Amino acid sequence: MATRPPSSGPTDEQLMDAYIDGDDAAFRALFERYAPILLRLTRRHLRDDELAEEIVQQTFFRLHGARNDFRRGSKLRPWVMTIAMNLVREHWRRTKRRKMTSLEVDTRAAPEADFMPLELRQRSELLHVALEKLPTSQREVVELHWFQERPYAEVAKIVGTSEGAVRVRAHRAYATLKQLLVSEIRGDE
Amino acid sequence: MTSASDRPDDGIGERLRELDAPDAPPTDDRMDRMFADMKAECDKSDRTVTGFLRSRSTMARRLIVLTVFAALAVIGWFVFPLVGDEARTAPWTASLVTFCILLVLAMFMVTRPVHLPALPSWLSMCLACVAIGATVLAAFWPHPAAQAATQDHTGGAMAGACMGVGLLLGVPVYALLRLVDRGNAMGSLVAAAAAGLAGNFVLKAHCSVPGTSHELLGHASVALVFVVGLGLVHRVTQKPS
Repeated sequence: MATRPPSSGPTDEQLMDAYIDGDDAAFRALFERYAPILLRLTRRHLRDDELAEEIVQQTFFRLHGARNDFRRGSKLRPWVMTIAMNLVREHWRRTKRRKMTSLEVDTRAAPEADFMPLELRQRSELLHVALEKLPTSQREVVELHWFQERPYAEVAKIVGTSEGAVRVRAHRAYATLKQLLVSEIRGDE
Repeated sequence: MTSASDRPDDGIGERLRELDAPDAPPTDDRMDRMFADMKAECDKSDRTVTGFLRSRSTMARRLIVLTVFAALAVIGWFVFPLVGDEARTAPWTASLVTFCILLVLAMFMVTRPVHLPALPSWLSMCLACVAIGATVLAAFWPHPAAQAATQDHTGGAMAGACMGVGLLLGVPVYALLRLVDRGNAMGSLVAAAAAGLAGNFVLKAHCSVPGTSHELLGHASVALVFVVGLGLVHRVTQKPS
């Protein structure tokens, strides 16, 4: 969800400006726009609904605390994404290790399990596990570049590195994913 | 948006699309509850001094911290006697300048805006190690030995007193930095290093007891106690995720 065109209502930045000026309804509108996106993002990373909710709430709590740093003319989306990614990273730093380390299929952990057919669920699970095997730096790039459809330049800004480094990370991540899933992709199972 | 050519095609692209299949959209009730909880937390925070300070702009937070640091330094500098003229050597000045630089660096790290990518944790650890290293190094640049020989002091007791004073002086610095920290990872460690540096700055400027052993036991130990002690406390009390 990018900055909205004027025809479909106020842009994210206009809402943020309104919120800084004390309009609580604008904050609610921003929450409604971003919370579902952030929930998907954090669930993909954490695979825990409760924790994902907590991180989304923390993201908005921090956005609220940092509102006076928002400059008119800045883009809001990279702000929100960076705060969320920082929180996810902090979570990983605290827990030190990922919960799942093998390529086992564990459908219990898949939050969307009830809504997918069995075969798709298993394939999705395999991919989840493969994603978890990537280093955090590469996984973040896949998340933002592929799932959030952000351009490399914006991804670089969010993760705090150069565009070239992001391209390298993405290339390596996709190559690793392909390698991890090669048999599944070929249908050798 | 990402251009199509940027993204992987063949099998992996297809699998990624599968994984991105829409899951159950969050219900209105759930969204309402999440928003209400979060807003209540924001409102509660706004009513506290901590919340007020943290919600100031980064520029304002930095100015607040620098003003308090400067005020404390100026008051201390003129109210309490400095070391004697003979002890104001180049290494003494270099130590004070180094402590100041590290202190400002720590302040910048702690007040880093949360919308910027978090600094890697090794940087915070690095700062803590450099802070301790600087205080230890400063201990090896003591007053001239000739002066030490003329002083009559009980090293242990004086070291204890210096350590107590250093710890006492570091506490407000630590508290202030925690008050303006919006939740940076490792912010506690950096604030602890800053507290140790502040204590050492004051001790180096005012303590007239010479000797490497005294400075190691009474001064450098302050930074070590802050970093290790508060690091442990933070680790124990950290909310499990």
